[in-house]
Amino acid sequence: MADVDTGSLDKPNAPPAGLPVLLEEARRELRDDIVLGHGGRTALARFAERFDGLLRHILDAAPRTEPVAPVSIVAIGGYGRKQLCLHSDIDLLILFGGHLGKPEERLLRAILHPLWDLGLVVGHQVREIDEFARLEVDNPEFLMALVDARPVAGDLGLYRRFETAFHHAGTHAHVVGALNTLIDERYALFNSTLYQLEPNVKDAPGTLRDLTAIRWIAALTDPTLLRRGPEDLARLDEAEDFLLRIRSILHLETKRNANQLSHPLQEKTADILGYPGAFPQQRVERLMSDYFRHARIVTRALSWIRKTAPTPVAPNLGQTPDGIVFVDARQAAVQPATWLAAFQAAIDARCDVSDAALALIRQHAERFRVEDFFPTHAHQAALLRFLRPGAGLYARLSEMHDCGVLGRMFPPFQAITCRVVRDFFHKYTVDEHTLLTIKNLERLATRAAPDRERFSSLLQDLEAPELLVLALLFHDVGKWRDEDHATESVRMAQDMFDRLGLTVEQRANVEFLIKNHLAMSQVAFRRDTEDPEIVRTFASLVGVEERLRMLCLMTLADVEAVSLETLTPWRAELLWRLFVDTYNHLTLGYGDELIEPNLAANTELLANRPEDLSESDISHFLAGLPRRYLQLFDREAIYRHVRLARNINPDEVHLGLEEKGAGWELTVVTLDKPFLFSNISGVLSSFGMDILRGHAMTNPNGLVLDVFQFTDQERFLALNANARAQMFQVLDEVVSGRASVTARLRGREESLFHRRALRVKPVVHCDNQASRRYTILDIIADDALGLLYRISRVISQNGCEIDLVLIATEGHRAIDVFHITKAGAKLSEADSLELSAHLQRMLEGTNEAH
Amino acid sequence: MKLIKSIVRPNKVDEVKDALEKLGIAGMTVTEVRGHGKQKGHTAIYRGKEYNVSLLPKMQIEVVVADSVVDDAIKAIVSAARTGEIGDGRVFVLPVEQTYRIRTGERDSL
Repeated sequence: MADVDTGSLDKPNAPPAGLPVLLEEARRELRDDIVLGHGGRTALARFAERFDGLLRHILDAAPRTEPVAPVSIVAIGGYGRKQLCLHSDIDLLILFGGHLGKPEERLLRAILHPLWDLGLVVGHQVREIDEFARLEVDNPEFLMALVDARPVAGDLGLYRRFETAFHHAGTHAHVVGALNTLIDERYALFNSTLYQLEPNVKDAPGTLRDLTAIRWIAALTDPTLLRRGPEDLARLDEAEDFLLRIRSILHLETKRNANQLSHPLQEKTADILGYPGAFPQQRVERLMSDYFRHARIVTRALSWIRKTAPTPVAPNLGQTPDGIVFVDARQAAVQPATWLAAFQAAIDARCDVSDAALALIRQHAERFRVEDFFPTHAHQAALLRFLRPGAGLYARLSEMHDCGVLGRMFPPFQAITCRVVRDFFHKYTVDEHTLLTIKNLERLATRAAPDRERFSSLLQDLEAPELLVLALLFHDVGKWRDEDHATESVRMAQDMFDRLGLTVEQRANVEFLIKNHLAMSQVAFRRDTEDPEIVRTFASLVGVEERLRMLCLMTLADVEAVSLETLTPWRAELLWRLFVDTYNHLTLGYGDELIEPNLAANTELLANRPEDLSESDISHFLAGLPRRYLQLFDREAIYRHVRLARNINPDEVHLGLEEKGAGWELTVVTLDKPFLFSNISGVLSSFGMDILRGHAMTNPNGLVLDVFQFTDQERFLALNANARAQMFQVLDEVVSGRASVTARLRGREESLFHRRALRVKPVVHCDNQASRRYTILDIIADDALGLLYRISRVISQNGCEIDLVLIATEGHRAIDVFHITKAGAKLSEADSLELSAHLQRMLEGTNEAH
Repeated sequence: MKLIKSIVRPNKVDEVKDALEKLGIAGMTVTEVRGHGKQKGHTAIYRGKEYNVSLLPKMQIEVVVADSVVDDAIKAIVSAARTGEIGDGRVFVLPVEQTYRIRTGERDSL
């Protein structure tokens, strides 16, 4: 909420000439209507419009001698509804299109002071437009008043921006929820009965607030409710006019904002409204009889609409006891791109899609083609979000399939609808088998059986589980043909990958999974997995850990979906063992497999090289790096690395920094030296960066390539124009030895090295068997800022060289694998024990962020 | 008549099956089993944590053969299932007194 000073005047403003006259004219006009018993909807709307003119007059007259942000004066609450009574507060939103500085404050004063000088009670809210990006959940009355917002003066474009920001399903749902709470609280004040002898015509059950609530609920959920309710809309209008006429009389008679129809005022009101009767009591009884009749109509209508209104969950979507419904069915019928949102809403709300919504989709699905479902990037992103494995995904996909929309969204899926493939094992049609694979994955994500928890943990570790679901959805579409269905599935899925706008990396992963979806079961169940060569070959097929995890889960889900009996504990065990052996090969054994000079002459890399890179630049850079490097990075990344590595001299550091996803990726190329890795990771920590993933590699010439992916929680890089240059300068100074990282970190020690309870018991495992060339340190610990710096510093302090590092973070666990040597050889047993002990002590003794 | 019960590596089932079929032995029962003999499992390490793999996955193949082909069958199984490494498995030979066909109630004579 904008914090502004409206209390003092630079120069007292007198009301612009003529304002008191305009106001008095408007009031006189209204008073004349009221005494005739006509102070209802029409008269109050006219009075409100008079006020609109007054405000436009004030804004036009405001001095504009300096540049000022766009402003819009918006009527809200009762004034917004044009139900402004004689002594009602004037509820206003004064909206600015930019930052509220001194010029804007001066303009604000020029608007408000004339109103105050006129003796009006102004309920004003001042906001910058950007403040509507966040919902003011702690101010429900204000949010409700905004439902009646109406532009009065100023910038109409700015008002439209406000409307766009305010009116979305999340806000609507919140307002309806808050409104229901306030209704209950208000009713409690009146003992929940409309039969009050001296009713408050604004607040009591069955009066004006209830009518407003009815209109709000309809506006925020389903406007057709007003037509469908138990009471005719005309009767509600009549009740409203009746109550407003009474309220106007109360204001006139009491000369203030009073709303209670007391006994004395009942007589006066009955007289003004012209109720017949020889005695006052007769007239009052007739008045009150009408009052209770109207109040009953209003309470019935409110009760019905509260029970019936769907809870807004997305544009044109609401939740009812029947499930997710389309609010406007005609609109939904012609907007297939919104259908997926109905299924997403059901997943989010953990309910069904209503039969009515499914029937609508079933009726219209045939009319649309695939491009109608994913017209924009936002729709493509929504699909990937929808495919994240979680509770309800299988049920929703099955509903989509049942009502014919799955095959329209994903045409290749139509080829396997009810497809029967006869073999000894499969128990279901190909389409149902496919959906069951996703059900199996969903079960791992939500309620894994104890013997599946290890696979469930793999699913939790996946960076993009939705890609796995996408791969499962397409893995068997090629089964419409009888031979080599995996290759056919990849071919058929190409068009969908284009439409979904997958990145090169995403597409490569999904294609890999579909093409090789049988590979892991063939190796696990039919090959001798105790043979290291079998594991090595399989590891070289999958390449990196993320693909291994995905393929393992895909295999598990696929085998389990063949029949209830197919995935025996015996098979699950074989699969798990192959996973572990391959994982260990990928993470522990990769240091022994280097890019040899002939492999460095990778023809594809050389053939596609940019003009500024020579063949020898590329070959020289690659030779001696682990082969894994070629699987970790795509061609463009490799070329960037080659450029960074050219012409590098001792003590120089060449750097690249780019945004990647929600974080950043720093590439460091330099020549090896003691404490290098800990210095670099220490510099990142000194800037508050949390390192999540990364690789460090060294070639035989001492060239070091480190790639760190990190998050910038303090938004140092985003908020400071020269942040990148500053970070590069510090890295340069620290790596070249001109500055000390310890000194830099000292300033952060207070905030970084805080103690906290251990969430993960640290594990340090030192292995001399897994690699021919390296001792391997496997470290699992609580993720914390600076952890990598402290671990690597201990390793260097023990006289060891860090040659290769794999950095991973899964949940709150840091999983780091270091390939180290001491004096060019593996560590002796004594050295291993000593280093492990030092690391264990560091991690357990303090387990501070570092 | 003998029951030959073989415990073999999972990846050797197809080879054993083929070798027995060449001897005209077509009927068999194959079961997934777990156990250990001299090969008492090993310690596997996943993410720095050790866990003991004490029961190893094996396949059990059961065939009932006439006394006259027992030796050939055993030779075929051993030859097909052998890798020369620890963990190749075992072959057990048990006497069978009688067999009946359930469908007809007829007593079988091999």
